[in-house]
Amino acid sequence: MVLSIAALIGCDEIDCTLYNTVFMRSTFYSDGSQISLTDTLTVGTGREARILLNRMTGASDLTLPLSHWQEVDTLVLTVSGENYLVEDTLWITKTNTPYFESPDCPTNVFHYITSVNSTHTFIDSVSILEPHVNYAQGENLRIHLYSAD
Amino acid sequence: MHKEKIYAYICILLISLLPAVANAKDKTTGEENLIADNAALFGGVAVSADFVGFSMKLLDSKFANMEVAGRLNFLEKYFPIVELGIGDCTKTGSENDNTLSVTSPYFRVGMDYNFNRKMNGNRLFGGVRYGYSSYNYDFHIDELRDIYYGTIETLDLNDLNGKNQWLELVVGVETKLWSIVRLGWSLRYKYKIKQKASEYGAPWFVPGFGKNGTTTFGGTVNLTFDIGKSARKSMK
Repeated sequence: MVLSIAALIGCDEIDCTLYNTVFMRSTFYSDGSQISLTDTLTVGTGREARILLNRMTGASDLTLPLSHWQEVDTLVLTVSGENYLVEDTLWITKTNTPYFESPDCPTNVFHYITSVNSTHTFIDSVSILEPHVNYAQGENLRIHLYSAD
Repeated sequence: MHKEKIYAYICILLISLLPAVANAKDKTTGEENLIADNAALFGGVAVSADFVGFSMKLLDSKFANMEVAGRLNFLEKYFPIVELGIGDCTKTGSENDNTLSVTSPYFRVGMDYNFNRKMNGNRLFGGVRYGYSSYNYDFHIDELRDIYYGTIETLDLNDLNGKNQWLELVVGVETKLWSIVRLGWSLRYKYKIKQKASEYGAPWFVPGFGKNGTTTFGGTVNLTFDIGKSARKSMK
């Protein structure tokens, strides 16, 4: 018994959430069904021109980081094929809340998406399914594309 | 951390000797009285202090629960008890300079039951407690890096408020050292029943509860002054 007590008191473990990344998850839909893009997709941050996703093919599901502190994030989606390149821009308005667990664990910032606006080159509309962007990584946005017809 | 471990081991060695001390006393007192025959309805009042919390504070531990308690004695079997304390924690991350600070009061109420049927100066306790703490805490975030958007921020989240309620199952022993002075220890299994914390996060340490989580273990080493009828009787 004494040994058990000693073991209990002597332990100093660090318990941090295992899945501790915060990404906004988006899916592509067309004509009511989830689709994969057949072309190449690149996502940048607009004015700062940071590349968040570089030349992804077959994208059906995107996980993108949001900024820690900006109230509105600008995401430029560029779809390119053999002879063409088209762009659409998403403006994601959100609130930002820092979140901590323990001094030993990484601190993060959670978000709450209040609205999404976009241009309409190939994006028809965007709906918010889950406004909370946190460790749960649920489906946050559904991006509806114009049909190929 | 090493000082805490050494202290913990010393405590464990000392308190593991208590039953031996108690047995030795039994042999010297000879004839034993049964509680059922001799206990008064109201056996008096006792006040106590917990060595562990104060010692951890003196040893500069990263956290400590410093507490005192007052308890009544009915029939030498039932011991309603109130424990009041201050929980203190300043913890910095092992791989960063993030720091949690919390210093707030807490209380527990409950009752112990003495399983020892003989009035020989020893008590074997089982009991329950209800604990509550309303606390303020600060969290300093040294470097919050946004690697995708290239920002680094230092944040001070101050005066965050939290409230916790919990239950404790207690086992313990206690023996008379001299006159009205008693020494004992208790082990506690703690179960969180409710927590309200800031949206920024819950603290790593909850005053009175210990390391935050659904369950945790704790313990006390108590120096008790048992005053009242039973104390006077046992002095005779």
